[in-house]
Amino acid sequence: MKKLLSLSLASAFAGLMFSQTAMAQNNGGQDLVARGEYLAVAGDCGACHTAPGGKAFAGGLPLATPLGKIYSTNITPSKVAGIGDYTLDDFEHAVRKGVRKDGAHLYPAMPYTAYSSITDEDMQALYAYFMQGVKPVDDKAAETTLPFPFNIRLSMAGWNLLFAHGKPYVADSGKSAEWNRGAYLVQGLTHCSTCHTPRNALMAEQADNALGGASLGTWFAPNITPDPHAGIGSWSQQDLEQYLATGRSANGSQAGGPMLEAIDKSFSKLSPADIQAIATYLRALPAQSINAAPGKLPTSTPRLSDVAIMTGSAPEGAKLYEAHCSTCHQLSGQGGNGIPALFGNAALKRPVADNAVMAVLEGVTPDKGQAMPAFSDKLDDRQMATLINYLFKTYGDAGVQTTPERVKALREGGEASPLIALAKEGMLAGIIILVLLVIGGGVIIQRKKSRK
Amino acid sequence: MSDSISTDIVVIGSGVVGALTARKLALAGRQVLMLEAGPRIKRDDIVTNFRHSARKDDFIAPYPNSDIAPFPDYKPQDNGYLDQTGPHDYKPEYIRVVGGTSWHWAAQAWRLVPNDFRLKSQYGVGRDWPLSYADLEPYYYEAELLWGVSGPAEMAKYSPRQQPFPMPGVQKSYLEQRITERLAPKYEVLTNTTGRNSVPYDGRPQCCGNNNCMPICPIDAQYHGGIAADAAEKAGVKLVSQAVVYKLEHDSKGKITALHYYDWDKVSHRVEAQVFVMAANAIETPKILFMSADDKNPHGLCNNYDQLGRNLMDHPSNSATFYVDEPLWPGRGPMSPSSIQQLRDGEFRAESAAFRVDFSNSSQVAGVTAAAIKEGLTGTALDDAIRFRAARQLSVKNVMEQLPDRNNRTLLSTRKKDALGLPVPAFSYSYDDYVEKGMQHSLAVYADIAAMMGAKQVRYSTPGVYSNNQHITGTLAMGFDEKTSVTDHVGKAWDFDNLYMVSTGVMPTVATANSTLTACALGLRTADAILGKL
Repeated sequence: MKKLLSLSLASAFAGLMFSQTAMAQNNGGQDLVARGEYLAVAGDCGACHTAPGGKAFAGGLPLATPLGKIYSTNITPSKVAGIGDYTLDDFEHAVRKGVRKDGAHLYPAMPYTAYSSITDEDMQALYAYFMQGVKPVDDKAAETTLPFPFNIRLSMAGWNLLFAHGKPYVADSGKSAEWNRGAYLVQGLTHCSTCHTPRNALMAEQADNALGGASLGTWFAPNITPDPHAGIGSWSQQDLEQYLATGRSANGSQAGGPMLEAIDKSFSKLSPADIQAIATYLRALPAQSINAAPGKLPTSTPRLSDVAIMTGSAPEGAKLYEAHCSTCHQLSGQGGNGIPALFGNAALKRPVADNAVMAVLEGVTPDKGQAMPAFSDKLDDRQMATLINYLFKTYGDAGVQTTPERVKALREGGEASPLIALAKEGMLAGIIILVLLVIGGGVIIQRKKSRK
Repeated sequence: MSDSISTDIVVIGSGVVGALTARKLALAGRQVLMLEAGPRIKRDDIVTNFRHSARKDDFIAPYPNSDIAPFPDYKPQDNGYLDQTGPHDYKPEYIRVVGGTSWHWAAQAWRLVPNDFRLKSQYGVGRDWPLSYADLEPYYYEAELLWGVSGPAEMAKYSPRQQPFPMPGVQKSYLEQRITERLAPKYEVLTNTTGRNSVPYDGRPQCCGNNNCMPICPIDAQYHGGIAADAAEKAGVKLVSQAVVYKLEHDSKGKITALHYYDWDKVSHRVEAQVFVMAANAIETPKILFMSADDKNPHGLCNNYDQLGRNLMDHPSNSATFYVDEPLWPGRGPMSPSSIQQLRDGEFRAESAAFRVDFSNSSQVAGVTAAAIKEGLTGTALDDAIRFRAARQLSVKNVMEQLPDRNNRTLLSTRKKDALGLPVPAFSYSYDDYVEKGMQHSLAVYADIAAMMGAKQVRYSTPGVYSNNQHITGTLAMGFDEKTSVTDHVGKAWDFDNLYMVSTGVMPTVATANSTLTACALGLRTADAILGKL
């Protein structure tokens, strides 16, 4: 392929489509397959479609949702178990519209509302990769069987009519090529809004609050718009690029939970140019002020004395901290030797304590870098709440606290959906359909992998 | 009044060897009860105890001792649990808690070398094992997977492997890197094979270099028996803690029929089982068998040929400490990270003991500070001395093979009892010329290493006084017949068809490697024998 372009409109497109210049040589299908592979990484297809320890894209990973387990499907080119008999049109329909070749609707655990922005050219590359670059696996993935009435996939058609009206990305000629590339990725393949945009009553994304932050039931996906208090307004371009590339940044942020997975499997493998484009686009978004933390932060690094701990007069939170945390994070939470400091730590400056609780419960295990152990079997709900509250009060936002009840709910995977109860109470057909619309969104935001 | 419990298999002792054996039996569908003399403990309590301890070099201090199930403790003074009858004192450390002694260790996960299994036929000393390295190799790997063992591929030169290590070796600290570079090629310094995660493994993080392996890894990057006991319970093993077994009962047909234990209120309980597995370590297991003496077995069970408790071996060590001509900054990374393997085998074993040379990476700050104060240094001179010495002090020691000697033994004390009225273990112990020759050989190697490191002020440990390594072996030795050993090649007692021993005590020789991985491998093999698979 040639870089043809001198006109500004065209150059915006060039940045969008062909930032992978190394692949921009014409050597038949190989190029297309390689580009498709890169795009599949950007779309993080493997996060759901490859089970841990399983064969690539063979599906079978259970995504825990409040309505039951949704199993990811086999998207290898197997003709018996996968998508080997899909034409480009079939493939495009599934990825962009959420409709299978047999006409059945996908549950929106598949982020097709975002993937609809994928351009035709990139769709061809993805198709080429999945047909030629992925090894066919003939093992059928487990079937998803949600309870009635949620097993009626047709109901998704209605939800789609209302909410899935995306079209391929159209570049904004008034913006730079870099901005356009970032917009294309963020709105489409990297599907940031799936987690970071709050949802309305029918669980569709609230366009007015785009990327303003939302709870996933357990982890909280923070506001990633450039509001200085609620979002990333104080982050430098370098902070953001470093964070996306590694999961950590010098400003005290480290990814955990689903974001860490997205970084390990997707963002860390993107080209520096694409990371730069994403950061550029995010920093130019309209600021959203929702989900700001109270902001009651300590003004300087706390310097703790261990006299009270040694004499036994320290509060329980301090004692729990000493026994479980202080060997690595140090007496005054200063961290060091690759262990994050707690003063100024982003996890302790969120509007809710959920991410801190989740990190301590599950641990944090990045592909690269030091892991933190899980404490779910070391601390009970009350101890966990006491410790987390101590951490927020001592090192973070003193206006944020949690409770043993909240810890219990988080330990159990978040609150169960009220939809099941509603359905059981025998709502009438019309209402059921409405309910089903809601599920659609619900499963998206609840998608959380069962961890070992 | 004594109640009675009945189970399929009872395992006495919940240390890493017993727990992993129990786990395997439970996973095979057997009903398994595991008894532990000591209490349950929690990692955070031990971390707290250590942090609050004024004596940071006392690695036993953080662990709760008791009068009911006491264990030896020598600091600040000997608690007198063990009775020494000479000529040398034998002073092992072990702890009686759920999970056992490997709560507190450096997680060394050594395999023996093949010639260790045929010492007698190869070199004419010691004795041969009734099984070969090849027989044990698959079980070594089974144990390595359970622990999560890391190690460098080069280690296979010494201990051959069918499979790669579950994890690559833990990253070398700066100290290790410098030693490795400066001693090569004459000495090959290898990262140790350890139950220490170099990458996240089995839900536990990798080592982050806290240099706190002993007395406790604060993040479970290091495997320990508490993790094994948890795994056993998850597999369905019923664990009863604070159950001090004091007697086995048997019938006239070569079967053990029941055991008796005291709970911590000294109420006695009786347990009937089809199979009995002794996993109470190489000292407490013989103690129970001695205490089970009756008219027919006046010297204890499994002791018809006076083999029980004899041939006690450990690893005596000498050491050298010196200041290297460059700062090495010990104290970052694992405490016992690397060693030299070249002297673990060779023709010289016909005459003098083989040994491994270990380098310490423990923080030197506390030790050099205490020494400098003792020397009378103050003010700036003290500060300077601490800075200089803490950065440059290097300690090197050996892990020395000791041959089986029937006069080295554990037996029951005739003069001391514990709070339950049970006799405490007693020892008769000495070192022979084979060890002394090995010690001299080691001193020459230390001098060579010191010279290669540009060392000043080389200090050797006191001649003739050797520190102990708690690798208690030989007292339940496996062998070829009942006249020269206690157990057969699968750890079954010669005298009873349903009594098995899983312990470092079954090792017929101690070789030059920390004994726990070998004992675990043997225990997993014993489990296969119990399950009828051997």
